[in-house]
Amino acid sequence: MTTSAISTSALSRSFGAHQALADLTLDVAQGEVFGLLGHNGAGKTTTVNLLTTLLEPTAGDASISGHSVKTDAAGVRACIGYLPENVQFYDNLTLLENLRFFARLSGLRRPDARIRDVLGFLDFTGHDTQRVGTFSKGMRQRVGIAQAVLHSPAVLFLDEPTSGLDPEGVRTLRETIVRLNHEFGMTIFMNTHLLSEVTKTCTSIGILNHGRLVHHDSMTNTLAAFPADESLEDIYFQLDSAAA
Amino acid sequence: MNTVLTSARHEILCTLRARVAVLLLVVFLGMVSLSSLIGWITNTTVTRVYEKILADGLTTAPNPFAAVSALYYSRNSVIYVVLIGALMAIILGVQATLRDRKSATVDLVLSRPVNTVARILGQFLGLGAVIAVVLAASTTISWAAIGVIIGTPLGVDPTLRLMGFAAVSWVLMMIFALLGMLTGLYSRKETTALLVPFVVWSAIAFVLPQVGTAARPVALLNPVPALAASGGTSFDLIGALTGPFAITEQFKRVASIVLRDDSVTGNPVASILLLLAVLIAMIWIVVVTPRRALRSGLNE
Amino acid sequence: MSDTWIVAEKELLDLRRDRLFAILIGFLAIASLISVAVASADFRNQLDAYNLYVTNLAQSGSTVTAAAPQLFPLKLLRGGIEYLEILGALFAIVLGYGTIAKEKYRGTLALFLSRPVSRFSFAGGKVLGLSIVWLGVVVVLTAVSLVAVVTIGHAPIGGIDVARLLIAGGFAWLYLVFWTALAVGLTALSTRLSTGLIVALVIWLAFVLIIPQIGDTMDPDNQVPGGLFATLNIQKTDELSVLAQFSAFDGIRNGLEVSSVTKHFERLTFAFLGIKDQYNQLPLGLVWTAMLPYAITLTAATLASVVFAALATTRRTLQRNQS
Repeated sequence: MTTSAISTSALSRSFGAHQALADLTLDVAQGEVFGLLGHNGAGKTTTVNLLTTLLEPTAGDASISGHSVKTDAAGVRACIGYLPENVQFYDNLTLLENLRFFARLSGLRRPDARIRDVLGFLDFTGHDTQRVGTFSKGMRQRVGIAQAVLHSPAVLFLDEPTSGLDPEGVRTLRETIVRLNHEFGMTIFMNTHLLSEVTKTCTSIGILNHGRLVHHDSMTNTLAAFPADESLEDIYFQLDSAAA
Repeated sequence: MNTVLTSARHEILCTLRARVAVLLLVVFLGMVSLSSLIGWITNTTVTRVYEKILADGLTTAPNPFAAVSALYYSRNSVIYVVLIGALMAIILGVQATLRDRKSATVDLVLSRPVNTVARILGQFLGLGAVIAVVLAASTTISWAAIGVIIGTPLGVDPTLRLMGFAAVSWVLMMIFALLGMLTGLYSRKETTALLVPFVVWSAIAFVLPQVGTAARPVALLNPVPALAASGGTSFDLIGALTGPFAITEQFKRVASIVLRDDSVTGNPVASILLLLAVLIAMIWIVVVTPRRALRSGLNE
Repeated sequence: MSDTWIVAEKELLDLRRDRLFAILIGFLAIASLISVAVASADFRNQLDAYNLYVTNLAQSGSTVTAAAPQLFPLKLLRGGIEYLEILGALFAIVLGYGTIAKEKYRGTLALFLSRPVSRFSFAGGKVLGLSIVWLGVVVVLTAVSLVAVVTIGHAPIGGIDVARLLIAGGFAWLYLVFWTALAVGLTALSTRLSTGLIVALVIWLAFVLIIPQIGDTMDPDNQVPGGLFATLNIQKTDELSVLAQFSAFDGIRNGLEVSSVTKHFERLTFAFLGIKDQYNQLPLGLVWTAMLPYAITLTAATLASVVFAALATTRRTLQRNQS
C-alpha cells in the first residue's frame, strides 16, 4: 500500500463571491509525478498556493506528508519545495548568495557543499559569482529548481515550470523533473499548459474546470480509456468540455 | 533565531548591493564630513571678523565665539540626521520590505518554515546594522575633524557625547526606517510606499512644530529646536499637545543638550524615553504584519 | 489634434481619478492654511503683548509712545511660500516620476510607441499635461491663501495685493514645473524606476534643503545666539564696513545660496509679497527692477528643465530594462 504524499479533502477557496476552488478531494501517492491541467483561471495556481500554505483555505483541508495545511503549516513548509511561475530572485546578489539565503531559511546551517551538489546535479556550474540579474530565462529557471530542492524536500510543487522557456529549456527541465523523481523519489506536483510535457513526465493527471476537479486518474488509465489514436490533447478537450 | 540572523545578513547584503542605497550612504557621510569643514571655515572667518572689530576699536568685549564648545562643529550634523538621515532611512526601509513583494521572492521565502515576525525582525536588524555602521563612520569622521580643527584630540567627555549623539541618531533613523518598512509592506504602489512616509516625515518635521511654536518651515532647518512663540498661551497649549509627536524636534532637543549647545538647557531624559517609546511601538506595529500583507501584489 | 495634446489630455484624465494626487494637493493646501492661521495667531499675540505694554506704560504715567506692530497681510503667507518651496517641490517630483513610471510599469508604453507619433510628443505631452495640472493647483492655492488671509487673518486685501499674489503665483508655477520636468527626465533616463525617483529626491534634498541651510549656517551673524554684531553692540554702518573686508567669504556663501533654484524662487516671492522688509510697500516697478535677474534665472532654469525632459525622454531611454 502506498502512502499519500498529498491528500486534500473538500479543499475550497473563495475570493469574495468568486469560488476559485471548490471541494477538491484528491490523493497523490508518494513518488508520483502529478500533472494538474486546466484552462486559464481554472484554479490551478490557487490549488498550488493552498498546498504550499501561501493561501489559507476557506473550507476543507489538505495534508502534505501527513502535515495539515491548516493546523501545521510550519510542518508543511519544512517538507516542500516550490517553484512559482516566472520565478524571480534578488538580482543584485550572486547565484551563490541567493541560494545560501534560501537554504538557510530552509534550516541548512552550512549550505555551500549542498549548493554545489545541487548545481552539479543540474549541470549548472561556473556561475556562482555571477549576479542573477544577468541570467537568461532558462538560467533563472534552473536557479528556481535549485532553490526548490536544496533542502531535499519530500514534495516538490512546480507552477507552470515550462512557461516562457525555449524548446531546449523545456527538454532540460523535463529531464530534470524525471531525474528528481527517479533518483531521489521526490513526489512532484505540477501545473502546466503543455500537454506534451504531461504525457512524457507525469504518472497521473487531474483536470480542473472552473475550480472543480473533473478528472483524476493515472496516465496509463486515462490514455487507455480512449481510442489509441487519440492524443492527450484530444482527451483533455473531451474531458474539459464534458464538464463545462 | 536562524531566520532572524539569515534575514539580517541578507538585508545587509541587499542594501549594500543597491547602488541607490550606497549613493545615499555616501551623501550622508559626505555631508557630515563637509559639516565639520564648513564649521571650521566659518569659525576661522568669524574669529577674523572679531579680530577686525577689536583692531578697529569697535568693541572691548571678549570673543563670544571663544567660549563655544568643541562639539559646536558637529551641530550641523543634527540637521543632516533629520534631513538626509531620516530620508535615507525611509528609502532603505521601503526597499527592504518592497523588494520581496516586487520580485515575488516573498513566495519563495514564505513557502519555507519561516516565522514572519522573525523574518521582519531580521530585516529590521540588518538595516539597523547598516545604519549603525554608517553612524559609526560619520562619528569617527566628526571626531577626527574636530580634533584637527582644535589642534588636539577630543577628550573622554566630548567623545562620549559624540557617541551618545550617534546613538540617539540611530534611534531616530530607525523610527523612520520602520515607517518606510511599514508602507513598503502595506502600499499597493511603489510610489505610494515612498511618498507616504515622506509626507509623514514632512508633517512631523515641519507642520507639527509650526503648529506648536509658530516657527516657519525654513526656520525649522535650524539644528536647534524651535521655541514656543512668546506671549501666547494658545501656542503653549498646542505645543504641549503636539510636542510629543514632533519627534524630530525632540531629537534636536536631545542632540543639542548632548552636544552642549548652550542655547538649549534642561534634562534630555524625557525626550530620550519618548523616542525609545516611539521606536518600540513602531517595531511592534511592523513585526505583527500578517502573512497576507507580505504576499500582497503591487499595482505598479 | 496633435499627438502632444492627446498625451496631455490623457494625463489630465488620469490624474483626475488619482487619489494620491488629491491627497498631496490637499495636504499642501492644509499646510498653507495652517501656516496662515499660525502666523495670524502669532501676530495677535504680539498685538496683545503690545497692548499690555502700552497699558502698563500708561499706568506708570509714562508719556513714551511705542510703535505698534503693523500687519502686512501678505506677510502671513510666508509659511505657505516656504511649504511650496519644500513640499511643493517634493510633490512636483513625485508627480513627474509617477507619470513616466506608470507607463513603463503597465507596459502601455509599447502601445504608444508602436503608433506613428512624433519624437517629442510623449515627453511634451507629459510635461504639458503636468504644467496644466500645476497651473490649476497654483490657482487653487492662491485662492485658498487669499481667502485664508481675509477670513483667518482678518486682514484687508487691496487690488495691489492681489496683483502681487498673482505674480508670486506665476513664479510658483514656474518653480513647480521645473521640478516636475526634472523628475520626468530623470525617470526616463533610469533603468530602474525607483532609481529615477531617488536620484530626483537626492537633488531635491541638496538644492531645497541642504544648500540653503549651509548658506544660512555660514552667515557670520548666525554664529552666536542673538547675532554676533548685536552681542558686540556694533552699529549697522560699522557692521557693513567690517563685512566689506570679508567679501570673498560672503561671495562664496551667497554663491552657494544662488546655486539653488529654491533661493531664486524664495527671493522673488519674498520680494513681491513684501515678506522681505527691504521690499515691503515698495512700488511694483521697483521690485521688478530689483528682481529681474532672479526672474530671468528661474524662467531659464524651468526652460532648461523642460528641454532636458524632452531630450531625455526618447524611445531608447523609455524602453530600457526596468524593474
